[in-house]
Order: sequence, then structure tokens, then C-alpha cells
Amino acid sequence: MELLSHEILIIGGGLAGLRAAIEAKKSGRDVAILSKVHPLRSHSVAAQGGINAALGNAPAPARDTWENHAFDTIKGSDYLADQDAVEAMCREAVERVIEMEHWGTLFSRTEDGKIAQRPFGGAGFPRACYAADRTGHNLLHTLYEQVVGLRIPVYEEWYALSLIVEEGRCAGVLCLHFFEGRIVPFRSKAIILATGGYGRIYLRSTNAVINTGSGSFLAYLAGVPLEDMEFIQFHPTSLYGTNILITEGARGEGGYLINAKGERFMERYAPHLMELGPRDIVARGTQTEIDQGRGLEGGYVHLDLRHLGREKIMERLPGIRQITVDFAGVDPILEPIPIQPAQHYSMGGIPTNADGETDLPGLFAAGECACVSVHGANRLGGNSLLETLVFGERAGRKAAEQAGKEKKIPEEIIFRERLGAFQSRLDGIFGLKGEEPSFLIRDELRAVMTSRVGIFRKESGLMAAREKIQELKKRFLMTGLKQKGLAFNSEFVQYQELEGMLHFAEAIVEGALARKESRGSHFRTDYPKRDDEHWLRHTLAFKTEEGVRLDYKKVSITSYSPKERTY
Amino acid sequence: MKLNLLTLRIKRFNKEKDPPGWIETFEVEIRKGMNLLEALLSIQDEQDGTLAFRYSCRGAVCGSCAMRVNGKDFLACRTHVEDLLEKTALIEPLSLFPVIRDLIVDMSAFFDHYRKIQPYLQGKSVYEQVEYLMAEEKRKEVDPYINCILCGICFGTCPAFEKDSEFLGPAMLAKAYRFLVDPRDRRNEEILRAVNHQQGVWGCKTVFNCLNVCPKQVPPTHAIVKMRGKILRYRLASIFSGRGIDPKHNPG
Repeated sequence: MELLSHEILIIGGGLAGLRAAIEAKKSGRDVAILSKVHPLRSHSVAAQGGINAALGNAPAPARDTWENHAFDTIKGSDYLADQDAVEAMCREAVERVIEMEHWGTLFSRTEDGKIAQRPFGGAGFPRACYAADRTGHNLLHTLYEQVVGLRIPVYEEWYALSLIVEEGRCAGVLCLHFFEGRIVPFRSKAIILATGGYGRIYLRSTNAVINTGSGSFLAYLAGVPLEDMEFIQFHPTSLYGTNILITEGARGEGGYLINAKGERFMERYAPHLMELGPRDIVARGTQTEIDQGRGLEGGYVHLDLRHLGREKIMERLPGIRQITVDFAGVDPILEPIPIQPAQHYSMGGIPTNADGETDLPGLFAAGECACVSVHGANRLGGNSLLETLVFGERAGRKAAEQAGKEKKIPEEIIFRERLGAFQSRLDGIFGLKGEEPSFLIRDELRAVMTSRVGIFRKESGLMAAREKIQELKKRFLMTGLKQKGLAFNSEFVQYQELEGMLHFAEAIVEGALARKESRGSHFRTDYPKRDDEHWLRHTLAFKTEEGVRLDYKKVSITSYSPKERTY
Repeated sequence: MKLNLLTLRIKRFNKEKDPPGWIETFEVEIRKGMNLLEALLSIQDEQDGTLAFRYSCRGAVCGSCAMRVNGKDFLACRTHVEDLLEKTALIEPLSLFPVIRDLIVDMSAFFDHYRKIQPYLQGKSVYEQVEYLMAEEKRKEVDPYINCILCGICFGTCPAFEKDSEFLGPAMLAKAYRFLVDPRDRRNEEILRAVNHQQGVWGCKTVFNCLNVCPKQVPPTHAIVKMRGKILRYRLASIFSGRGIDPKHNPG
């Protein structure tokens, strides 16, 4: 049996995974990255608008501080974020951003040559450091360049299939070499999951096609709960038709949201911040306009950038222009952009402490797949890129420290046994005689999530979604795989991922049904008020034989007591 | 031909089969605004799960889905199916790379070349707590080269790479130039030495194919021409000073 060993194995090659790898490598450990795509194809590359850090470079009446950043983040989270974690993130933001600049990220510049910053939703200062509107692309290429410089090995186009837990400790993972169809056990002292979100359980999503949450499912199967799954971020401005992201930076630069009657409708929903309200509020405002008949035919409104002028658009938003020209045939210099809200980000995920540790020793998580929780019920724009770097670094450092201490090496026989057991499970899957192809189930899942578990939720809709998901789970058991063998078997991979997606959907719906309040991105039309007395707490979803079991844990509050949230 | 039906002839490859290569025709029902990647995904779902191709972002930023469409290389996600309706479209893997399976090519040579130019900033000294100061004008000089998504399309269309697979290639020469003009990078001669040979800037035929096909409007030929100019200036300077760039001492 082939057995590969690395002290630290990082699953996922986006920003969080690469940053973790660099830190662990610099601590002198043997590190490798494993990813289902080449790291540069990770969804981090698609991030556009910016990364928050209180550099205070942009002209403002007062100097920005990390405390301001923390307050905006906590208020933006509708007070569900863990305040100690938020403080850690905002304190370390400056260092992480400067470090990226020193490693080569080509940030846009102020007149005096410093990193340029633009206003972003829900922020009191222009705090989003940007590289035109390709900030994610710039950051990801920079980190990958560092990984190349440090000669960190990358297992590209491998899939992680199952965690190996031995005596209460994560000891490795079974992985599939996609081109060769080999399953190989990896032995490691620490595994860091950095596999991103699961936006593709929604029909309308800004996420890459690959964002199926596969890493979160590995943890869930290993008994780790999922936290705050009902909090799904809907981005107000996705391109109508393809739902490709149109950055918040477009509004940061001064873009207007306009309904079919020509009104700047955000006046109704966030009279002070207008288009730069936080995402949950702008998304609800936009959807309300569409639902109440003030949208355009097909269900969209306009994002108008024309008044910014050609020069500003070409300089600050060139990527957006390219996207709208390529994918909608619209030139924003000449015409308004048709936009509609779409799923964008998963606030929930694998619960971790501020060092990326999960409850399962040896298992870490960082980035969108984790729930630290720094975003609470609603993430501010510019904080997800920041989260990947801050908590990637922290997880990498902590994993290296633990791997240095861990002396016990699990014996090879354990890996042989787990591989054998997994092979038998596979024989079962490939032996299924079912006729229904699994993509139909996936498509129906996406449709019900968008129609019933979207921006506005209510009990009857959530109950209907619950019923549908149970039906889909039953039908899933009756599906079959046409393609045999594991090499290049994308049908098998999608089958595996779909199982996870069904479980996430179930956890989201159960969490949303139970949470009888409205907070951040979770808006119940039947319970439109926030209820701190009962619901200022995190949801935990555990996988059981009977389905999801919910539990709760308290929110860490340091210096900001919950207040009503107005903008 | 029915207007809502797209016909694709796809070049297949599976080294386990005999013969390993064949052309297969698929018909896809299209909807308004559909792109080629979506058409391929629907074939994989509904008609043939064995069809292999790479994809990720579907928004022309990740560089996964480069392939040959009617004899020219494009990103599938950026190719509108409406433009392929006139006649049956031929879909092939990205040119000049060895095929692994169907539309998936082996890009290891591409990334080997990437590593050869040491593509990471080797910074001048700076205080840890503050950023390098850089004029926005200087940033704009670097910016066009930063936008490269490493999709490989420029390699697929490059006559110099076709002739010699050791040619560093347009994307990598653009990348080298990106570090050369970055005021933060302390390297200068070192980068020029690494490209000062026939498999570097002197191998380019300056036919501008790369510049014309790049989905992100990166201009590698401009970088190549500028680096040639810099090398020539160094050589000229060396006649007077007795030192400078000497291809015989080329470490790369």
C-alpha cells in the first residue's frame, strides 16, 4: 500500500490554504498542499473589491484605527460575531496587508504612494485596500509565488475523500488522484481544511462552479458540528443572467442602485449610507424593489456607473467592465449594469477557535470553510480576504507548533484498514443499480434553496424546503453511477459532493426554522425583529442517524454590547 | 439547423482506448446568453459523464478552461454559444500541450517555465511596518502584466514555443518583465540574464499572436521588446565599462 506522509497537510489551495502553508513551512515543518484544482484556479482569485485594514491611508477627517474596524465588523455582524476573534483579526489586519505588499501584491496607490483604500459597505472609513478591482487575483498570485519560492509541494487535482480519525485524533486523510484513479492515504500530524464555501447549493450564486463545500463535509462526517449554517450572505449586485459578482467597490467608487422608476431606492432602506449600507440590508432592499414590481422584466435592477466617467471606470473598475462586456454585452461607461442579488458567502462553517483549531485534535480549518466567528450574521465586504490571511497564518502557526510537539505516529496498519473500509463503501456505491442521475437532485436542491431559503424566509417556505430536502435525500440513495472506475470520474466526485450539499442544506434549513428572529442575513418575515434575549447565540448542527441535532453556544462579547443596528 | 440547438464536434482522447483519439458529436439545447463551458457541463451531466475538461470560476478569471474552438484558442466560459451556431463547432484541447484526457492538457511544462524565472518578488530592504512607496504611474506600468491568469492560451498560439518547447513563452516573459519593472524588486541584471538567450527574449518571433489572443489583454510582446532594449543598452554600456550582461555567463 502506498502511504504518503507530511507533518502538515493543507487541503485547499486558495488564500487561506496558501497562507497557512507558508506559515507552517517557515516554522520549519514538512508541509504539503492538496487541492482539487491548481491553486491559481481557486475561488479566491475571483474576489474583486478589497481587503480591510485600518491603515488610515485614505483622506478622512479622523484617523482610522483597528478598534473602529472591530466595531464596524461587530455591528455589521448584527452582534453575532465573537468579539475576541474580531479584535484579533482587526489588530493583525495591518501587518497581514503590509506583508502581502512586501511579497509583491500590486495594490493601487494614493497620491503619496501608499496603499489606496476605498469606502466599502457598513464601514465608517475608507478601509478596503484594493488592487484595482482584481484584489483577490493579485493576492492569490502573490501567495502562490511565495509557495513556489518556498518549494512547498502541491498535490494538484487530488480530492480529499475521508478523514482518518484514530483514538480521538485526526491522523490523516484518504485522497484520490483524479487522473490515475488511485486512493492514497496521507498520514499527518495536523490537517488544515481550507476548502472554501458551498455557494453552489444555490441556483443563483456568485461562487465558482467548484464551490461545493467538500472540506466542510469531511469534518461533519468525522463528527465535527457545523456552526451558524443559517447565515448565508446574498450579495446585492450579481450580474443578471450569469450571477457573476459585480464588486461592492463599484458602489464604493460612487455607483448608484436604480429601480425601474429611475429612483435611487436605497434611500428607503439605509438613508444615511445609501448604496454603502451593509450587504444584508442592500440585498433586502434590492430584492424588495424587485418583489414589489419596481424591478425590470425578468427580475433585476440597475447599477449605474455612468456618472463616474470613462477614466475612473477604466482605472478603478477595469475588471468589472471586462466582465459586463464579456458576459452581458453591456459597457458600463455607456449603459447601466443589470444586477440582482445572489448567494455569495457562507458565514457558517466548521467551528474553530482563533488559532484555527477545531474540536477534533489534529484538525484545523481556516477561511470561508471555518466559522471563527468573525462575521456573525452578516459579513462586511473586504473582511473575507482579510479572514483568509489572518486565520490562515494563525492556523499555520498553531498547526506547526502542535506538529512539533506530537511524537506519536499512527501505525501503517490503521491506514490500511481505513483504506480497506473505504474501498468496500465504494463497492457499495458502484454497485447501486439506481437509474436516476444525481444531477437532477442537485438541480432541484439548488432551485428549492433559492426559492425557499433565500433572502426572505418564513415558516411555511422553510417547512416546504425541509420536506423537499428529505425527499431529495431519499432519492439520492436510489441514484446510481453510470461511469465505473475512479480515474477521471467526475460523476463520482459530484456524487460525493452532492451528498455533502444535501447535508448542508438540511443544516441550513433546520437552523433557519429554529431561529425565530431576524438577524443579519437571516431574515424571517414572520419574525422580523432581532431577539437578543433568546437568540444571541450561535447555532451548532450535529450529524446524527436521525438527521440534524441542533445545539447552541454563547457569543463571546468583550467591549461592544448589542445595540439596535441602523445605517 | 434549428437555432436553439448547438452542435459540437469534440475531440476525445483516452490513452486506454483503441484508437485513443476520436471525434464525437454532441447536440446541446441552448438558452440565451449560454457560454461554451455551460454547454460542456450540460453534456457532462446529461449525455456523457466521461467527457473530461477543466473548469472553476466560469467568469474568465481563473484560467482553467482554455481550449481550441474552430482552430483558435479561447476560454470556454468566455465563448458565447450564439457565436458557434452558424456551423458545427470543432472543440479541441489547447494547442501545443500534451493531452491527458479529452480537453485536459498537461501544463507541467508551462509551470516548469514559470518556476525558471523565479516568479516571486525579491524585495529591496524596507521597514517591516510600512508599505513600499510607489507612484501610481509606476504601478500602471506593471499593471498590464499583473493581469495574466496563466491560462496558457498564449503558449498555444506561439510559433516560438511550437518550434522549441524549452522557449520560456509569452506569459513567463511577461511575468519576468513584471518583476523587472516593479520598483520594489531588487533584481535587475539577474532577471535580464535569465531571459537573455534564444529560449528567452531572443526566441520570440514578434508576430504578436500572444497579444492578440490574450483574454486579459496582457501584452507579452511589448515586455519582450522592452527587455531586448534593456539588454542591448547593458551590452552597449559594457563596451565602455568592461562589464555587463554576458550570455555566456547566463545561469538560467
